[in-house]
Amino acid sequence: MIEIILLVSSILFIFALKLFGRPSTAHRANTFAMLAMALAVFSAFNFDFSKYDSAFYITIVVSGLLGVLISKRVQMTQMPELVGLFNGFGGGASGAIAYVELSGSSLPISDVFVAIFSMGIGMFTFSGSLVAVMKLRGKLNNFNKKLADIFSVFFPTILVIPAVLEMDDLLMEFIILVAIISGVLRVAVIGGADMPVVIAFLNSLSGIAAMSAGFIVNSIILIVAGALVGASGIILTLLMCAAMNRTLRDVLKGGFGTTTINNEYEKDPISTSPEDVAIQLSYAESVVIVPGYGMAVAQAQAAVKELTNTLKDKNIEVKFAIHPVAGRMPGHMNVLLAEVDIDYEDMYTLEDINSEFSSTDVVIVVGANDVVNPLARTDEDSPIYGMPILDVDLAKQVIVIKRSMSPGYAGIANPLFINDNAKMLFADAKEGLENIIKSFQLV
Amino acid sequence: MEATFLLTLLITFLASFIGYELISKIPQTLHTPLMSGSNAISGITLIAAILIYPEVGDAQLLKIILLIAIAFATLNIVGGFSVTGRILEMFKKND
Repeated sequence: MIEIILLVSSILFIFALKLFGRPSTAHRANTFAMLAMALAVFSAFNFDFSKYDSAFYITIVVSGLLGVLISKRVQMTQMPELVGLFNGFGGGASGAIAYVELSGSSLPISDVFVAIFSMGIGMFTFSGSLVAVMKLRGKLNNFNKKLADIFSVFFPTILVIPAVLEMDDLLMEFIILVAIISGVLRVAVIGGADMPVVIAFLNSLSGIAAMSAGFIVNSIILIVAGALVGASGIILTLLMCAAMNRTLRDVLKGGFGTTTINNEYEKDPISTSPEDVAIQLSYAESVVIVPGYGMAVAQAQAAVKELTNTLKDKNIEVKFAIHPVAGRMPGHMNVLLAEVDIDYEDMYTLEDINSEFSSTDVVIVVGANDVVNPLARTDEDSPIYGMPILDVDLAKQVIVIKRSMSPGYAGIANPLFINDNAKMLFADAKEGLENIIKSFQLV
Repeated sequence: MEATFLLTLLITFLASFIGYELISKIPQTLHTPLMSGSNAISGITLIAAILIYPEVGDAQLLKIILLIAIAFATLNIVGGFSVTGRILEMFKKND
């Protein structure tokens, strides 16, 4: 009976992934996955609910309610933090379970290794995720990279300490400590804009930790589900790395964009006003909006939607060009735009829209910088050289809404801003957009 | 569920392969809900906690650690699915 439940559960999990492939069916995918999870958890009790005391049930109910409460209250702009936090919980849970297994029962030797692996990965995920959350909240910005470098250098030495001291009693605790410190230092040196990679990578690790826990307790469903999560995280990690033309190793090394390179401009940019932008837009037939993290910071999504409506009312075609690493997690911009009711059919990926820029009348860049920097195509010495970018500089006209000429994450100047076809609207993203909309009423 | 180690490895491999194939096809638009959803699934480690909970007996410290693990995993599962549902609802209404 249990076997049949687990079989159904596994099939449901795989079906859920299949349904996830299209926005129109994805909400059903979530229902399928929830059902699969419920069946899997139910089967673990093996129809014997009396083996568990009240502390067990209270913990489940209270933390479940807390989970619902948090998920209902969180803002969509905070999704990266939330996913990071839950990730940490998942990893921490697997790590703690592996610790209990190692301390409690006598495991066969092969399982001991798997358990140590699960414990290490789980604890690394736990501490790394919590640091990622802190970074996303803007804390821990000035972390000293040297500390992490020193730790990396001495890492092999640290690992032999237990052998030298003939540590038997506190070996587990030692491994946990090393894993936690590794997680903290590794993530702490990685910059904010690399967080999409970090979050995806930690997501993958939490799946791998769960999968290894499945090996210890001999649960096939746990292995299958863990492997699915691990695969999903790896895919997203590699996609994010490819979108930046950097290797995972390079991202995890950290310190990107901290070296100051020449970021002077040869000439002054052309500055524009909301009124002029409104006039310019009213003569356009096609407009592409490029949102970046700056849009999320300024909470300008609603203003973007309003401008879109204004333009569409004038029969101007509006599309959204979304770079894979825009924002702080994969797909972050899409969710923020979907929240303000922007049709996902209007959101285009880099591959889909790049050929269209040359025939686009006006491109509006809202809070994006490095992902529209043409140096990625032209300057071999640039740290972003080779990174796939949105070729907005090829459009007929470009309007960049930005507060100042300050460089983006890569720490380099963006020649787009002084391009002949580009104008700067120096303003906060939300304010700038709202002023353009107001000016439209006067045009 | 008992299985030999090799069979288990085979299943692991197949699951990873199916996962890789299916997830590669998911569009960029859905990457955030994919992350929060797969995140929720990683809380399935709760099963391991349920399986070993009756075995720890009177070892108080281990029991407390397991309860923390159970709390973390449950939060992960329930919160993760709930927030994924919220996100996907936003994509549904555009349909």
